[in-house]
Amino acid sequence: MTQAGFAFARLLACAAAAVAFAAPAAAQETIKIGVITDRVGVAKPYAEPVTDGLVFAAKEINAKGGVLGRKIELLIEDDQGKPDVSATLARKLVDAGVVFIQSLSLTTATQQAQTVSLETKTPHMTPSNSGDTLTTQIQNPYFWQTGPLGSIQIATLMSYARARNYKKVAVITDNSDLGQLIAKFFRGGLEKAGIEVVTEEVVPRGATSAEPQMQKIRAAKPEALFMAGVMTPENVLVLKAYRQLGLKTPIFASYNLSVPQYMTAGKGFLNGLAFVDAYDPDKPEIRKFTAAYKKDTGKEAYNLHGYGYDGMYLMADAIRRAGSTDKEKIREAMQATRNFPAIMGAKGMTYTFPEGKRSGFDPQGMVVRIYEKDKQGKAVHVGAK
Amino acid sequence: MQDFLELIVGASATGCIYGLVALSFLLMTRPTGVINFAVGEWAMVGAFAGFLFLSEWEWPYPLGVAAIVLVLLATGWATERIAVRPLVERGAPELAPILALLGMLVIFRESISLWFGPDPHPVPYPFEFARVEIGPLFGASLAGSNQSFVIIASTLVIFFLAWWFFERTLWGKCFEAVAINRRGAALMGINLSRVTSLSFAAGAVVAGLGGLLVAPNISAHYLMGIPLAIQGFTALVVGGPGRVEGALLGGLLLAFAEQLTVRYAPVPPGYAFGVPLILLIVFLLVRPTGLLKAREARV
Repeated sequence: MTQAGFAFARLLACAAAAVAFAAPAAAQETIKIGVITDRVGVAKPYAEPVTDGLVFAAKEINAKGGVLGRKIELLIEDDQGKPDVSATLARKLVDAGVVFIQSLSLTTATQQAQTVSLETKTPHMTPSNSGDTLTTQIQNPYFWQTGPLGSIQIATLMSYARARNYKKVAVITDNSDLGQLIAKFFRGGLEKAGIEVVTEEVVPRGATSAEPQMQKIRAAKPEALFMAGVMTPENVLVLKAYRQLGLKTPIFASYNLSVPQYMTAGKGFLNGLAFVDAYDPDKPEIRKFTAAYKKDTGKEAYNLHGYGYDGMYLMADAIRRAGSTDKEKIREAMQATRNFPAIMGAKGMTYTFPEGKRSGFDPQGMVVRIYEKDKQGKAVHVGAK
Repeated sequence: MQDFLELIVGASATGCIYGLVALSFLLMTRPTGVINFAVGEWAMVGAFAGFLFLSEWEWPYPLGVAAIVLVLLATGWATERIAVRPLVERGAPELAPILALLGMLVIFRESISLWFGPDPHPVPYPFEFARVEIGPLFGASLAGSNQSFVIIASTLVIFFLAWWFFERTLWGKCFEAVAINRRGAALMGINLSRVTSLSFAAGAVVAGLGGLLVAPNISAHYLMGIPLAIQGFTALVVGGPGRVEGALLGGLLLAFAEQLTVRYAPVPPGYAFGVPLILLIVFLLVRPTGLLKAREARV
């Protein structure tokens, strides 16, 4: 090689070395977050929008530089709504190096996945499940729940109904795990307030009619009807039978009736129905969120998306406060969450994990809204006082 | 009394839907011996076709139904072509098509769920939702939603057509012949594969119409297939797979047992749904051929 050739080769080598040194700075490690959702099972209609909201939040956070200077990387798994699969996937995610697991599938699936988060000491939360027992049945200090609990829902509904002094009411639900759990908490709340539940009916999954159940309710003459079911087709059957049998009893429904699908599937049957919700469309944070979501994805966001969004931001904040991705530090930071601003819930609601408790939705944070014709109306009542 | 009369209408309508699904099973089981558990998914296809033609594209109802029938014929024929014929032609064991059809069940359900999404989709009523009363009768009136009466009337028409097909047409006799003795029928010149294709196509139409009739009440959704298939199968076992009328009888019995138990029996609400399954067990133990025996071969 000539002199010039050697010089050129040396220059190339230096350039290559410079590039080689620069590269690692760009490829910094991401923060791996595990997400367990339901893409094909019974929870899909609910899990899908929650997941979309969460993914959108992660995108927003990464666009602003990520957490602790690192980007969030989502590892999304599909548990098909099956509890045993959920637990297996939780383990898979932990082995893949996630520092936090988000459970967006069924309550029962989240419950089962907790066995893994407890054993592997991995921070784990659900931003959307409402089953009360999730934080009480297993003593898992690594698990938090910020979904609106069934007990908060009934307390809010009852606080709204209090003015009417009901003495005898009926409850109708479906035979899903969550429907039964919510009915249990509804019943508990009602009986604690001295209200008699004259009959409790169940519409099974796959039923083609709810008429016999509604006939039984009509015969029991309740002053109000509480709907605790969580499956859309079955709830719509209840509403159709209600109309068909000429019932006029006021209806108070769980947060399930806040899901927008009812406005198409139950069109014409919703007027006057009161439901409890964790979403106030007039809240400025919600307006901002729905606008940003629409701009980014072109699709309309609704209440379910908000759960995922809040869940991601809550978690990111905890990691930030922990100052590292050490699971123990994240756990401490998460448990120490106080007054974290929420886009969900009533105006001014924040998430707080009270001393020793791991459910963070504010008991005063739900609202009652009423369907006007087929549109979800404004919040007519706030809180559970 | 009023409750009881209303229940008669409601349970009859539900029983008719079960009967249609049972008929669909029967149309395939009789000539081919294949139990097609995907009939529930065919009902789902009928419901979603109803959503597309009638809700989305807003075709006039009769035209929409005609289009849906064509879609169902194609679906049934295609199912047989994909899942059954290749196996039968290669001499696969009898269980093979049944398993392949279970696979088709999953394919149908997931395709629909991917195409339309997991939310329930509305299917319009042929007539505006209203309460119809027929009476007075024993001081009350036979009452129900007009959709219940539409379901009952449509089912009676479909069953009449099925009965007429088997009793009065040559093709129906061919089906019977194949059901009685497959090889003998083939030796007599009956085209077995054509009978099989036709039975699947007809089964799809019947199941799909059942789905279309029930969908305005329950909405078209991707999980609606399996419960319908289970109820239809139970209805078939109860009524007897030997006769067309058995499917309807089984469906009605099942629906009445279910709804009367829920309404009147002093059992906790969750347990009332064990009734159809208890019926199934009892019938399989005591009278496995079902209530109506197959007609004896006329010599």
